[in-house]
Amino acid sequence: MTNTTTTQQVNYNGMDDDAFRQMVHDWFVENYPEELRFPPERMHWDQCGDWYMTLAKKGWLAPGWPAEHGGMGLDANKLLIFMDVNESYGVGRTPDQGMTMVGPLLIQHGTEEQRAHYLPKILAGEHIWCQGYSEPGAGSDLANLSTSAVRDGDDYLVNGHKIWTTLAMDANQIFVLVRTDKEGKKQQGITFLLVPLDTPGITVRPIVNLGMHDEFAEVFFDDVRVPVANVVGGEHQGWGIAKALLGHERIFIGSPKFAILAMSRLKALADMAGLFADPLFVDRYTQLKMDIADLGAAYKRFVEVLKRGGHIGAEVSMLKIWNTETQQRVMDLMLDAAGEHGGVWGELETADGVARAAGDFIGARPTTIYGGSNEVQRNILAKAVLKLPS
Amino acid sequence: MEDISLQSKIDVLSEEQVLIQDSAVAFIAQDEELKRVRASRFTQPGYDKAVWQEMAESGWLGFLVPEEYEGVGLSFSELNLVLIQLGKGLSPVPFVSTAVAAARALVKGDNEALKKEKLPLLVAGEWTPALAWQEVRANLSEKASAVTCANDVLNGVKLFVPDAGGADAFIVSAATDTGTGLYLVDKDAAGISIEYEQRVDGGFYGHITFADTPVSDMVAAAGNGEGQGEAVLAAVLDETRVAVSAELLGVMTRALEISVDYIAQRVQFDKPIGSFQALQHKTVDLFILTEISRSVLLQAATVFDSDASAQERAIAASQVKARCSDAALTVGKDAIQLHGGIGYTDEANIGLYLKKAMYLSSWLGSASAHRARYAELTL
Repeated sequence: MTNTTTTQQVNYNGMDDDAFRQMVHDWFVENYPEELRFPPERMHWDQCGDWYMTLAKKGWLAPGWPAEHGGMGLDANKLLIFMDVNESYGVGRTPDQGMTMVGPLLIQHGTEEQRAHYLPKILAGEHIWCQGYSEPGAGSDLANLSTSAVRDGDDYLVNGHKIWTTLAMDANQIFVLVRTDKEGKKQQGITFLLVPLDTPGITVRPIVNLGMHDEFAEVFFDDVRVPVANVVGGEHQGWGIAKALLGHERIFIGSPKFAILAMSRLKALADMAGLFADPLFVDRYTQLKMDIADLGAAYKRFVEVLKRGGHIGAEVSMLKIWNTETQQRVMDLMLDAAGEHGGVWGELETADGVARAAGDFIGARPTTIYGGSNEVQRNILAKAVLKLPS
Repeated sequence: MEDISLQSKIDVLSEEQVLIQDSAVAFIAQDEELKRVRASRFTQPGYDKAVWQEMAESGWLGFLVPEEYEGVGLSFSELNLVLIQLGKGLSPVPFVSTAVAAARALVKGDNEALKKEKLPLLVAGEWTPALAWQEVRANLSEKASAVTCANDVLNGVKLFVPDAGGADAFIVSAATDTGTGLYLVDKDAAGISIEYEQRVDGGFYGHITFADTPVSDMVAAAGNGEGQGEAVLAAVLDETRVAVSAELLGVMTRALEISVDYIAQRVQFDKPIGSFQALQHKTVDLFILTEISRSVLLQAATVFDSDASAQERAIAASQVKARCSDAALTVGKDAIQLHGGIGYTDEANIGLYLKKAMYLSSWLGSASAHRARYAELTL
């Protein structure tokens, strides 16, 4: 089947790497709003909706999807370049769960009808998706989730409480992991469901985070009626397919770009404050710089695997741990370097733009929590790579 | 013992590299329990000449020597595969001193006749020179000043020459009217006296005094131009730092393997202690350090195997020496902790790894010295 409403018939993979990079960069320069470069926090729909639609019209909304489904069909190498230009140009993330999660899932595990219904709506910007995984009682221990779906004729009745749902207030669709069987191992009996957010019985309540930003929300389900046809991958099969989704995307959490950007802000702040005359500061700064340079070497090593068409396993957790903890150390030094400005929300003018030490410091807190806390990542490495006993 | 490094999972080796690595693995397996390593501690020259001959026959001593001088003409990507295994086996041979530092000084120097005469002997394991360059503790300067050369006669003191005991000759940096040159001196030349200092790992540093010692040949003419003493020495020291980093990576890799093996088996409180999360997380952190080090070493080898500038090489050398020095010490220390009381005994092999890490991480510049150098080169 094809969804060719916006498909560009361009063989991107056949392009020279540098030419492709230049083309993507040039198009961003031309089309991405200057004032939205390097946004300090996740953007809401009223900020980035126009950009989302610009991408949709260009056919660049789903770089990793196969061309037959309306994506750019980029291979691993070109996808890495595409993401790299996104990061280096400071293109902010849109509400992209439809592209990164729902689309790939439906392409792999959905039915023809589901693909025909949902994929074009994602590509057209009509469906904005959010993710309903975590619950108050199921964070790091996600399989402990208890939101229930009970069969009632051709529907499920869904009841429960999801939390940490990023940008739910901007979305009109949610994909949820629900419990359809309470017997047996907790990983079994979980089902993957697609739910329109305007279904009666759903309440979205924003959560204000430490950065005073309503990036997350809670989503309450109270006797919400969802057709059985909205199951993806079969009843009780949700855990397996949700885990399988965490494939190539995981590499991006190891990208050093964000840390490099944070270091450039730190450098501007330190230049202004004359801190490079302080050998203690220089030592701390250099350690961080080398931690990031060394991360870069490790990241490249993993990227090579993808370029060869290889598979990345649990070991990629090491990049997440190193990257996020290094970022937090950068913020520690930034806060220190900012003096009293470390205790205020406002921005400090530097030669290089602005530094917002307190905001960035707060913003770095969740990096070691989301996507499986770093402690859970260490458990995974201990078990899967070091084969330590449980 | 299971290989827990990510090499077999995510890196790709050429067929030739696999053969090289396999033969190095087989080589260190001969002394898996480190009995020979233990027996050689605090002895001179500290290694078995038959073992050295075996390495020569494998072609390893000529890896970084061009084929025209009867070497193999390979690159750091291959050399490191051998050095990692030598590190894992704590091999006491003077491989880095002779087959890297001294060999490369000869190769990069501008004395063509000497290269033709001596390099084939070095490659064949029949002649074992060592590099004597350092004059001040904790100083990385390539400019000689304490040792001088005038009228083909050396005077002064060189410090911290590893493997001086088994060396047949020294390549000595010395100050002249026109800058730093490199000179070849026979070990039994007149006026040489060597004071040996025990290292923690069981080897010795030689502190060498030259008193009107005649040089037997010039390795690189005085000056800082291409093929001249100071430039050659600077380049050779950076290459040697990469080599030492590879050895350090082997040391930490093996120390981690031994520790993982130990905590998986050691039972306390009716459970293997490796099931405790506090120990698992500590061990995972060591694993991450080891793999970050391996990544940086792979990158450094790529830089040194390319036509990168001296500046780029210096940055890469400091980056990898800083990381591997730091990581090997951390892994070594925590490996002792993971072993508990037995780790503090001379009887347990794990302590030998910490001591090797202490020696190699402090030689040719510590982690902090190389961070400072990196800062200078990149700020």
